Amino acid sequence: MIPNADTPRIVFPKDLDEACRLQANPRTRGRLIAGGTDLMAQWAAGVPVPERIVSLKNLPELTGIALTPDLVEIGAATTHAAIRDDARLRPLLPALVAASSSVGARQIQATGTLGGNAANASPAGDTAPALLVTGGLVLLASVRGPRTVPLDQFWTGYRQTAAAPDEIIVSFLLPPRGRAKETFRKVGTRAAQAISKIMIATRVLVKKGSIEHAAVAMGSVAATPVRLTALEQWLQGRPLTESLPEEAAAVVRETVHPIDDIRSTADYRRWAAGQLAADALRALL
Amino acid sequence: MKTRRTWKLNGKTVTADIPGIRRLLDVLREDFGLTGAKEGCGEGECGACTVLLDGEPVAACLIPAAQVPDGAALLTIEGVARTRAGRVLQQAYIDAGAVQCGFCIPGMVLSSYALLQRNPRPTERDIRTALSGNLCRCTGYAKIVAAVRLAARRLREEAK
Ligand SMILES: Cc1cc2nc3c(=O)[nH]c(=O)nc-3n(C[C@H](O)[C@H](O)[C@H](O)COP(=O)(O)OP(=O)(O)OC[C@H]3O[C@@H](n4cnc5c(N)ncnc54)[C@H](O)[C@@H]3O)c2cc1C
Ligand code: FES
Ligand code: FES
Repeated sequence: MIPNADTPRIVFPKDLDEACRLQANPRTRGRLIAGGTDLMAQWAAGVPVPERIVSLKNLPELTGIALTPDLVEIGAATTHAAIRDDARLRPLLPALVAASSSVGARQIQATGTLGGNAANASPAGDTAPALLVTGGLVLLASVRGPRTVPLDQFWTGYRQTAAAPDEIIVSFLLPPRGRAKETFRKVGTRAAQAISKIMIATRVLVKKGSIEHAAVAMGSVAATPVRLTALEQWLQGRPLTESLPEEAAAVVRETVHPIDDIRSTADYRRWAAGQLAADALRALL
Repeated sequence: MKTRRTWKLNGKTVTADIPGIRRLLDVLREDFGLTGAKEGCGEGECGACTVLLDGEPVAACLIPAAQVPDGAALLTIEGVARTRAGRVLQQAYIDAGAVQCGFCIPGMVLSSYALLQRNPRPTERDIRTALSGNLCRCTGYAKIVAAVRLAARRLREEAK
């Protein structure tokens, strides 16, 4: 049950322009809703329902997946199911496809969106690490015009993003993996519906037996989803040897600072983070 | 403020005047008297409220009804029970002994129905993935998986 569910005013702007105008004025601004899977669960759990809600359902600018040779643009209102089922995406952004496929169960994937997952800014959001390793951008819009923010600057603190109160996430601009390999893994309490304890995405390019480029990102090891820059730098140029994964695990354990919470302890997360990084690198051997 | 929506609900054109963010689950159960969809957790976790929106299982407890667009096709257990595949599924659930208290079963049958529509020959893994958003406190799932396999086989035989 959601208390007072009948009272809020929900409006359906017909395009991005109208939505931006509504959000520009504090008197017409409302809580943005995309799929509503996060919001409805929060409201059901007792978070007060806001007076005004602005639905992103009808905005053509926010839906669809567009491919160009060196960029994939995914609209913020694209559902996890659409990402999971788009056969064109699998070879280009396998980590993201795996991440969207692991969000909740089928019912959640059919409704929940990529933009909602990112805006929610949970350190345990599944898609964030997969977005981070692409080195891509978020496109934001407001009446002040569009702007882009690099994904590694988008999550600024616990449940905080670089988006201003009047800004709407329009899309994600993601360079495909090219010849690099990607992995995604999530270690949770149960395969479906689990709020992740920890997850990892990697994008690694190996050339002539050495690591030419490495992007590694994790969720639930800090207040925000993070790139493991210390590990990335350590990996750069290193030959891919049998002992590399274990050495990398040690680097991870020295450099991550996870949190204790109801779902897991910091010690377990630090250990698991090292293990996950080692596993991902082992897959390249 | 109300939002007016027109849908195809179990094949019939219906109109709903929806206040605020009234949940699809309440509109179906209370306004349309379709009580097959159940409220378990009310937070998207259990799947007892599963209905099909344009053929896909969704959690009706998480969807503001106003967000369901005009022209959408909604199918509840009452509608699926009138289809051939729905009846075969129901019978297979009974024959496999997959029903105990029954609370999860409308959602289970709907998720199973959607699976068989897109994949007439599912593996055990396909079935478990498709039903992973539907919790059952009684059966331990083995008989539910067996029921879906049985229904798949019967439907394939019928189609021959
Ligand atoms: C049972 C259950 C299981 C779940 N399992 C997982 C899981 O395994 N992994 C996981 O990562 N998440 C999980 N979630 C959380 C949630 O489903 C996802 O985060 C989903 O992607 C949210 O998308 P949405 O469109 O439903 O968001 P909404 O609920 O519509 O919105 C979420 C937040 O984002 C804001 N927002 C939405 N779109 C925009 C936009 N375009 N611009 C700016 N702000 C925006 C909203 O204002 C709100 O603050 C689960 C949720 C439930 C209920
Ligand atoms: S009642 Fe909707 S998922 Fe439990
Ligand atoms: S039969 Fe009782 S919950 Fe499934």
